[in-house]
Amino acid sequence: MTSSHWILIAVLAMAAFAIRVIGLFAGDAIRASRFAWVLDDLPGLIVVSLVASSLAGQPLITWVAAGAALIAALLTNHVIATMCIGFAAYAALGWFGV
Amino acid sequence: MGRMKHGAFAILPLAAGAAVYGFAFGLLAAQVGFPWWGVALMSGLVHAGSSQIVAVEQFATGGAVLGAALAGAALNLRYIGIIASLSEVLRGLPLRVRLMAIHITGDENWALTMAKRAHDPGVGFRFLIGSGLVMITVWTVSTSMGAVIGAALPDLEKFGLGFAFTAAFIAMARGLWRSHAQLLPWVTSFAVTGAVVLLEAPKAYAIVAGALAGLIASYLIRQKGAGRR
Repeated sequence: MTSSHWILIAVLAMAAFAIRVIGLFAGDAIRASRFAWVLDDLPGLIVVSLVASSLAGQPLITWVAAGAALIAALLTNHVIATMCIGFAAYAALGWFGV
Repeated sequence: MGRMKHGAFAILPLAAGAAVYGFAFGLLAAQVGFPWWGVALMSGLVHAGSSQIVAVEQFATGGAVLGAALAGAALNLRYIGIIASLSEVLRGLPLRVRLMAIHITGDENWALTMAKRAHDPGVGFRFLIGSGLVMITVWTVSTSMGAVIGAALPDLEKFGLGFAFTAAFIAMARGLWRSHAQLLPWVTSFAVTGAVVLLEAPKAYAIVAGALAGLIASYLIRQKGAGRR
């Protein structure tokens, strides 16, 4: 592993634990504050931004496969099923030269 | 000990589901260059599935290390509420036990503990710890096993492995969908992120810009709703 791998693991571990510690000592106060809605909204907004960043500027095949993954997600609400169906759709479209 | 054992056995069906997800994550992480022991280290120290998958994807697609870690960590903000809800369960315990308990608390064993406790007030920290120890062990082992297999496979990127991450994000978004009130903020985030990427800015900036734009949209909608009342 490079130093970047180590730093990623260390920073992610510290941040994840810090969030849990904040929940332990200040969670109730934060939940009662007027900014509580940010905690509810931010995870979804970041995930949607991640989807957009991986689709922007990509060829049609990627968008079509994303559509297949979205349908799978809506029907199954299951991460692994969505990943399998999305990846299979992407690979199949590539195989048939779409 | 009885309650701890009860928790350890009760969580097994949920742990089996997490193991499949963990195996898939380990496979992807190995394909983008993480050794199995690095994956094990990350899983044991971080213990947060969606955070890990986001951080590894951002890292693998050339994002800055700090940005990748923070993007992953941001997904974990829900744990502020989850851990806060355990205040009764953890009350009176020594600090070191509480710190250990919050680290091994994940979505599955938290939800199971709270659900069981609603019917049986005797379910408490021993159940949480028993189920949590099983979860973190299963998560660490399954991600490591996925990484061992992933390292032995040929390079799957030519088949579009990177799209598996996109599909995982789409599934996560589905899981985070609660109501139609989210639609406009989510569309705003999607559009702003896409526009910033097309302007050839680094993806990390695009994600931050998109998330902030979504928050502003959400704030304005809430203000409008409050004004009507």
